[in-house]
Amino acid sequence: MMPQLLSVNVKRPASRPIRIWVPVLPVLLVLSPVLLLAAVAATVACVVHQISVLRALGTGWRIMSALPGTRLDLKRGHTAVLVNIS
Amino acid sequence: MNEQRKDILQMLSEGKITMEEADQLIAALERDRPAPPTDVQPKAKPKYLRVLVESNDDSTPTRVNVRVPLQLLRAGVRLAALIPPQALGEANAELSRSGVPFDLNQLKPEQLEALVEYLDDMTIEVDQPDTKVRVYCE
Repeated sequence: MMPQLLSVNVKRPASRPIRIWVPVLPVLLVLSPVLLLAAVAATVACVVHQISVLRALGTGWRIMSALPGTRLDLKRGHTAVLVNIS
Repeated sequence: MNEQRKDILQMLSEGKITMEEADQLIAALERDRPAPPTDVQPKAKPKYLRVLVESNDDSTPTRVNVRVPLQLLRAGVRLAALIPPQALGEANAELSRSGVPFDLNQLKPEQLEALVEYLDDMTIEVDQPDTKVRVYCE
């Protein structure tokens, strides 16, 4: 399943915590023209380096769909960063 | 072998019952035997690789907690199949120059997938006075 939501929480001493929620699908739709260009560039790169385009696309999709559940939690002193993909 | 089955075989050997009767009796015994418990749950397969680091150096406590889906590792190892041959050659040369004579061409995606498969049972613990590292699957 494709990631639905990326959330980033940043806590720093003496400042307000930052919380960002990024809905992945709408952002991808907004960035679709750029993504299309990136896909064309990636296809050209695959052809130049003699890599199967279909295989590369399949692997990219597998990685994308395996991302949900990834969590990164860093704390140092009073500073904390939490990145969660769901 | 239980007692009843032993008795049936004993009667068969003494000729008190025929082979068909013995077969029917044993079949009846099998039917009457209580079914094995089916509510024993198999051990759940781990889904995530967890990396925990706790450090107290510089008197500032630091904690790193990373959870990576094993599915992502499996997808990642497939990237190995996409590395162009010339890049593998260059990487091999660099590895040899650094004193690691390792041929990346020998590394097959199936082997990497098997490696990820057997990560389930792995636990790495590093315990130092001011740092603790734990890597395991959950």
